[in-house]
Amino acid sequence: MPPQQEMEGQDDSEGRERSLSEWRTKLQTSLPKRPDWPGAPRDLPHVSPGQPYTSHDAYQPPRTLRHGDYTKQSAPLIDQVSNRWRGTEKASTVYVSEPEDHELRFCDLEDEGSCPNTIRDLVRSRRLRRMLAVFLVAAVMLYYGWKWYLQPRLQEEWSFKQGFLPARSNGTYGIARAGDFEGTAIQWLDSSLIPGGEADREGKRRLVFVGDIHGCKKELLHLLEKVGFDVKTDHLIATGDTVSKGPDNVGVLDELIRLKADSVRGNHEDRLLEAAKTILGTNLSPQSVAATSQGYAKDATLLKQLKPKHVRYLRDMPLMLRIPALPHASTARHQHKDRVAEDVIVVHAGVVPHVPLEKQDPYFVMNMRSIDDRTHLPSALRETKRGKSRPWMEIWNWYNDRLFRGRSLKGFHLYTTAEYEDEQASESQGWLGSLWDGLFGKGKAKMTPQIVVYGHDSKAGLQMHRWSKGLDSGCVAGGKLTALVLDASGKTEVVQVGCKNYKA
Amino acid sequence: MGFNLSKLALYFSLLVCITTSGVSGLVKRDAPYEQVNDHPTFSHQKTDKDEPDKYFHESTFSEHYDGRFAEAPLIYEDRRSHLTALLHTYISAMQDMGAETWLMHGTLLGWYWNRAILPWDSDLDVMITERSLHHLATFHNMSIHHFSLPSPPTEPRLKRDYLLEINPHYKNSSVESVNKIDARWIDIETGLFIDITTLRRNATAHSLGEVDEMMVKDKHHYVYDDIFPLRVSSFEGAAVNVPFAYAEILVEEYGETALSEVHFENHRFDVERGEWRALRYAELVRFQRQGALLGGSFWGRKLDSESLFPD
Repeated sequence: MPPQQEMEGQDDSEGRERSLSEWRTKLQTSLPKRPDWPGAPRDLPHVSPGQPYTSHDAYQPPRTLRHGDYTKQSAPLIDQVSNRWRGTEKASTVYVSEPEDHELRFCDLEDEGSCPNTIRDLVRSRRLRRMLAVFLVAAVMLYYGWKWYLQPRLQEEWSFKQGFLPARSNGTYGIARAGDFEGTAIQWLDSSLIPGGEADREGKRRLVFVGDIHGCKKELLHLLEKVGFDVKTDHLIATGDTVSKGPDNVGVLDELIRLKADSVRGNHEDRLLEAAKTILGTNLSPQSVAATSQGYAKDATLLKQLKPKHVRYLRDMPLMLRIPALPHASTARHQHKDRVAEDVIVVHAGVVPHVPLEKQDPYFVMNMRSIDDRTHLPSALRETKRGKSRPWMEIWNWYNDRLFRGRSLKGFHLYTTAEYEDEQASESQGWLGSLWDGLFGKGKAKMTPQIVVYGHDSKAGLQMHRWSKGLDSGCVAGGKLTALVLDASGKTEVVQVGCKNYKA
Repeated sequence: MGFNLSKLALYFSLLVCITTSGVSGLVKRDAPYEQVNDHPTFSHQKTDKDEPDKYFHESTFSEHYDGRFAEAPLIYEDRRSHLTALLHTYISAMQDMGAETWLMHGTLLGWYWNRAILPWDSDLDVMITERSLHHLATFHNMSIHHFSLPSPPTEPRLKRDYLLEINPHYKNSSVESVNKIDARWIDIETGLFIDITTLRRNATAHSLGEVDEMMVKDKHHYVYDDIFPLRVSSFEGAAVNVPFAYAEILVEEYGETALSEVHFENHRFDVERGEWRALRYAELVRFQRQGALLGGSFWGRKLDSESLFPD
C-alpha cells in the first residue's frame, strides 16, 4: 500500500521526521480528484482551528439550515473513498483453491476438518460410543419405567381422586336431600360397653362383630361358643340382615334380644318394617303370591310370626352405629394392620367417603356395592350401567390412607358452610399466615381416618383391609359365618364357622 | 184482567228499553259475555293430526295442557301454584276413593332433591296399581271433584274443579304407542293434568317363569320388589307414597348425574335454602363467562349475583 510503503521508505532512507505540513501536502495530493456531482464543492473547505468558517466562494451553504443539511464540519463521505482496495488480495483466495469446489466446502471428503470426516472420527472413538450407549440405555429405561410403572400409578391415583374434585362436574353426591330414615340414623355405642372405657378399667371387655346372620340360629350359637362369648364381658354387634332367607328368624331375634346385642338396620329389615305398616295390625288375610311377589309373600309370613317385642327390636336398629376410638389402643404407625385403633362405623352395606354421615342416603347405606367414579353416586349393583364404577371400599381405603398419612384434602368437595368459611379464611391468610399458624397456632381439628365394619356383599365374601372389614361370608348359602373379635388393646381376630345351605 | 194488563205493560216497557238501549246506549250493564268469557268457546285440542285410535289429546299450543279447558299456557310464576294444587287434590281424592298411588319419573326426582316439584316441570307423573285402576274405572270415571282450596286470609277460598277421566283402552294390557296413558286428573280451569299410568304384571315374563316382573304400557319395566312395599314420605307438604327402591329407579331412568348435578335447565340448586332457583339471564351470562358453573369446591356457596340482584 502506497502510504505504508512510503512511510517505511521514509524511515529507512531518510531517518528524519517530516513536518506536519509536509505530511498534509502529501496526503492532499494523493486524494482523488474533485467529484463532479451537482452541488459538490469546488475545493475542500480550508478549516483552521479557532477560525470560523467564512469562505464564501468554496461552498455556499443555504440561507436557512434545514434538518439533515450539511453543517460546516461535515463533508460528503464519498470524497474520502479511494480505490486502494483494488490492490489488496482476497482473503478467501488463501482457502479456496478453485471456484467449482465451493459447494463441498464443509462436506469435502478429502478434507480433514469437514463434517463427514469429523463425524466418522467421533463415531469410531470409544468415548463417544460409550456415551451413546449410556444415553440409549437410560432413554429405554426411562421410557419403559414411565410406561409400566409411573404412568399406571399416576393414572390410578387420578382415577381415585377425580370423584373428590369439583373440576369435572357440576355437583356431587350428598347435595340432594335423598330419602328418609325412620328411626335413629346415627347412634353411638353405649359408653359402658367400650373395651378399655370408663366402665372397663382393666380392659377385659370385647366387642364381637358378626356378619349377615340371615336366621341361621344354630350357626350363630356355634360361633359364639367358638369365640368364647361371655355375656358379662362381651358385646355382640350384628351388621344387619339378621332375618330373612334362613331357617329360624324368630329364634335369632330372640337370641339377640336375650344377649342385648346391637345391630344396624339392613335392607331386609328395612323391607320388613315397611311391609309391617300394611300387614301388621290388620285382620286382612295376606295377599297371595300371584298378587305380590315371592319375596313379599315370605316377608308377610315372617311378619305374622313376629311378636311386638321383635318388631320393636327391628325398629330400634339404627342406620349406622359408631364406636369411638378405643382408649388403650395405640395409634403408632408401625403397628400391624390388624389393629383397630380409630373410630369404627358399623353399617350394613357401605358409606361414601368424604360425604358427612348425615348426608348419606339411607337407601344406599343399606344397599350399596359400588360407587360411580366421578359423581360418587353409589349403586346396589357391582358395576353400573355406565361402567365407570368401582367397589366402594377401594375408594374408602384410598381416602382413609390419605387421611392417615396426613396428606391434604385441599380442593376436595365441601358440604357445609362452616368448612367453606374455614377454607376461605385459610386461603386469604397466604403462606406466611399458614406457616405461623402451623408453628404457633392451635391447629384446627384435622379429619381422622375411620374403620368401617359392614356386611351385605356375600359374593365378595370376607374382605379384610386396613380401613374396611367386610364380614358377610354367605352363611345362608352354605358359606361361613364370620365374627370379628376386638379387644381393649385394639387387636382383632377373625373366627369362622361353616354353615349349611338353606337356600332352596 | 188487570193482572194481564200489568204484565203486558211490563213486557212492552222491557221491549222499549232493549230497543232503545241498543240505539242510544243509555242503559249501563256489565261487559258482554264474549269479551269476558274465561273459558274458551271452542276446543283447542289437537285432534286432527293424532291417530284415530288415540283417546287422550293435547292442546294445539302445548303438550302439557288439555285444549278443551285452556286457550294458552300459564306463565312460569302461575304454573307452580296450579301444579301444587293439582297434586294436593289428586292425593286427597285418591285417598278418599281408596286407590293406591305413588310418585314416579320427574315428580319422584323432585321429591328426591327437595320434596318439591321441579320448577321447570309442566306436568306430574304418578302410577297406580291395576286393581285401583279397575276400581276407578268402574265407579269414578268422568267424575268431577270440587275442591275449595286455602288462600290468604283476606281473600276468599279458591274454588277449583278437577275431572278424572279414564282411558277406555285401560283394559288392554299390552304395550301401546298411542294409548299409554291410562287416566288423567285434569284441572278444568287451566287445562293442566296429571298423567296416570298403571303398573301391570308382565304376562310374557310371567309365562317364562319370571313372576316378579312388572311392566307399564309406556315400555317401562320394573321388578315388583323395587316398587313394593311403598314408603310413606312428604311432598309439597302432603303425605305421598314413593317406591321402595327409589334411588335405583331414578338412576336407571335418568343416570347418575340427575342425582348429583346442581345445574339443570337454567336452574341452580341453592343448597342453603334447599330449592331450585331460576337463573336470571345476567347470572347465566356471568357464570358462563367466569366458568363458575364448574369448579368451586362448595356447591352451596352463594350465587355471586345475589348482591347485585337482591330478592
